[in-house]
Amino acid sequence: MFTYLYEAKHSTSIFMERSGKNESQNSVIFALIYGATYLPAAWLLKHQMIGKPLSIIVAIIPIITFALFVLKLIKAFSVMDEVRQRVQLEAVVIGFSLTAMLIMLLFLLELCGVSNPGWFGYGHLVGYCWLFYFVGWFVSKKKYDV
Amino acid sequence: MKNTIKVERAKKNWTQADLAKHIGISRQGLNSIETGKFIPSTVLALRMAKAFNTTVEVLFQLDDTEQ
Repeated sequence: MFTYLYEAKHSTSIFMERSGKNESQNSVIFALIYGATYLPAAWLLKHQMIGKPLSIIVAIIPIITFALFVLKLIKAFSVMDEVRQRVQLEAVVIGFSLTAMLIMLLFLLELCGVSNPGWFGYGHLVGYCWLFYFVGWFVSKKKYDV
Repeated sequence: MKNTIKVERAKKNWTQADLAKHIGISRQGLNSIETGKFIPSTVLALRMAKAFNTTVEVLFQLDDTEQ
């Protein structure tokens, strides 16, 4: 009986670990799909190679893939162990805070008449947002040594 | 917060990977707890205590400055 319970507990933790890995892999795959739709869409729209009705569809596709990626990320988050959850949470908090700070700074500089849209357009802000998330991830991983 | 996870592991002759598997977390996560960088939740602390057949109080103690 005890052996059976031990085996059951052991296999449950292995299942949790595998399930966590699968979910993490899924979220990485969906992140790549998002990247694979976002970059060509941005390129096509920037060079105005397609008509307006099709442009709108092309503009929406990366948003859909991003939404799917976020859903997969949330699912992966729910099966992560608590140390990894903390790392992800801190990465998001740091990423969000730095992005909010940058947007505030840009807004205030714009009021002063000092702004450079060539470096800080909407498209660039998406890039900075990702960059800040990875900064937060790196900092948090270092903090908890995982 | 200090802990005696390493001592309890040594008593059972378990590696970090063995204990991590028992309590359902990653080895790196366990290392983070063992070195005191991360304080686990009550559920995880209880699971750990159960794996060692001991109590949470034996595994985790407050530092002198925290008391």
